[in-house]
Amino acid sequence: MTDRLQAEDESQALELLHSKGLTDGLPVVIPTPDRVARLLLATGLDADVLLGEMGPGNGAATVEKVAVAACMAGCLPDHMPVVLAAVQAVLQPEFDLTEMQSTTHCTAPLVIVNGPARHNCGPIASGFGALGPGHRANASIGRALRLCMLNIGGARPGESDMALLGHPGKFTYCLAEDEENSPLPPMHQDLGYKPDDSVVTVIGAEAPHSVIYSGDADDPDDAFKLLQVLGIGLANMATNNAVLTGGGAVVVLNPEHAKILARADMSRGDIQLGLWQNTHYSKERLAYFAHGFAERFHGEEYRCFDRPEDILVLMAGGSGLYSMVMPSWCAGANRNRYVSQVITTDQFCEVPTV
Amino acid sequence: MRDGINLARLGIPAVALVTEDFWPQGDFVAKSLGMPDIPRVQLPHPLAGTGAENLRVVAEQIVPTLIRSWLRD
Repeated sequence: MTDRLQAEDESQALELLHSKGLTDGLPVVIPTPDRVARLLLATGLDADVLLGEMGPGNGAATVEKVAVAACMAGCLPDHMPVVLAAVQAVLQPEFDLTEMQSTTHCTAPLVIVNGPARHNCGPIASGFGALGPGHRANASIGRALRLCMLNIGGARPGESDMALLGHPGKFTYCLAEDEENSPLPPMHQDLGYKPDDSVVTVIGAEAPHSVIYSGDADDPDDAFKLLQVLGIGLANMATNNAVLTGGGAVVVLNPEHAKILARADMSRGDIQLGLWQNTHYSKERLAYFAHGFAERFHGEEYRCFDRPEDILVLMAGGSGLYSMVMPSWCAGANRNRYVSQVITTDQFCEVPTV
Repeated sequence: MRDGINLARLGIPAVALVTEDFWPQGDFVAKSLGMPDIPRVQLPHPLAGTGAENLRVVAEQIVPTLIRSWLRD
């Protein structure tokens, strides 16, 4: 059962939630029984259905507790299938949630949504400013996951969440892929799902790093140069990807950059291969900055990524000079693997607006 | 947009060139600066980096519209 708190009015309830450390520091929607019940109804599931234990506090992630977090985050009933899938995704053992929540590194779960749920459970923005303010579903769904991680997982800053500084994506970090305008197939399709599936893919990621590239269609090396600068952003010598290696990372191509790569007839696999090849560095270079980390490599060259497919590539955002790359933590038993989870909508119950 | 409006305010005939994706922002800036009817010509997006030949083609296509906008009362 979920513990109940009592307050005289909403204002007092908000202060109570803040004082108990149950918020992310911003005002929340007070999770009254009626509001939580509406979100629960939308899931079509029983309140006590257990999705898993959430570390580091090993709290029981029941559907009801997730609904409480979703309510506090401002979610609509339509958002619930994506929230549940995002929670299920981070509960997969391969995600190493407990370790990720506890690390001193700045990492937050980036939720990438593919398939029809982008429209049916949102709309979840994929265009201009998709990771910025003003998109209700993006803001609320990402925030719901964070509130689960705080209140079910028990990750408290400086106590059980030891991120030295954190990053703003720890409030919310959710976007959709712009499948309709991308020259690439939808990302989930290349991950082995059907185009009609709705899928969340989640990876613990740093904040987005901007990569500037001004294309030149007259330059035969245009695509190659773009891949080079993206590789520099993904795994420069200041990143865990270049020092710890072996983790995942994300490249969010803006439409202009995606077109440059499409003009060169590059598939997603070709792009990933190019990024992988461009992030092979000399051991000597690593040893200069991090001697201890370099010692484990025996050859003259080492690879930042084990496999090309460890680099997620998608298209989102407005068209222009800037793509975004998100390096990762690269630690934990599974080295910061991304995980995917199908969004189940066949249990979903439409809840009328009140 | 701002450059076009600033020039127009100096009495210099001006036409702002705005790419398709930035057209709504152009509306916003024009309204917020109190000159919603500043002449504007739309360019395709993206334009930068699309190659010298394409720039020539686009330039040839927009010159008549550009001149018409310039000479508008």
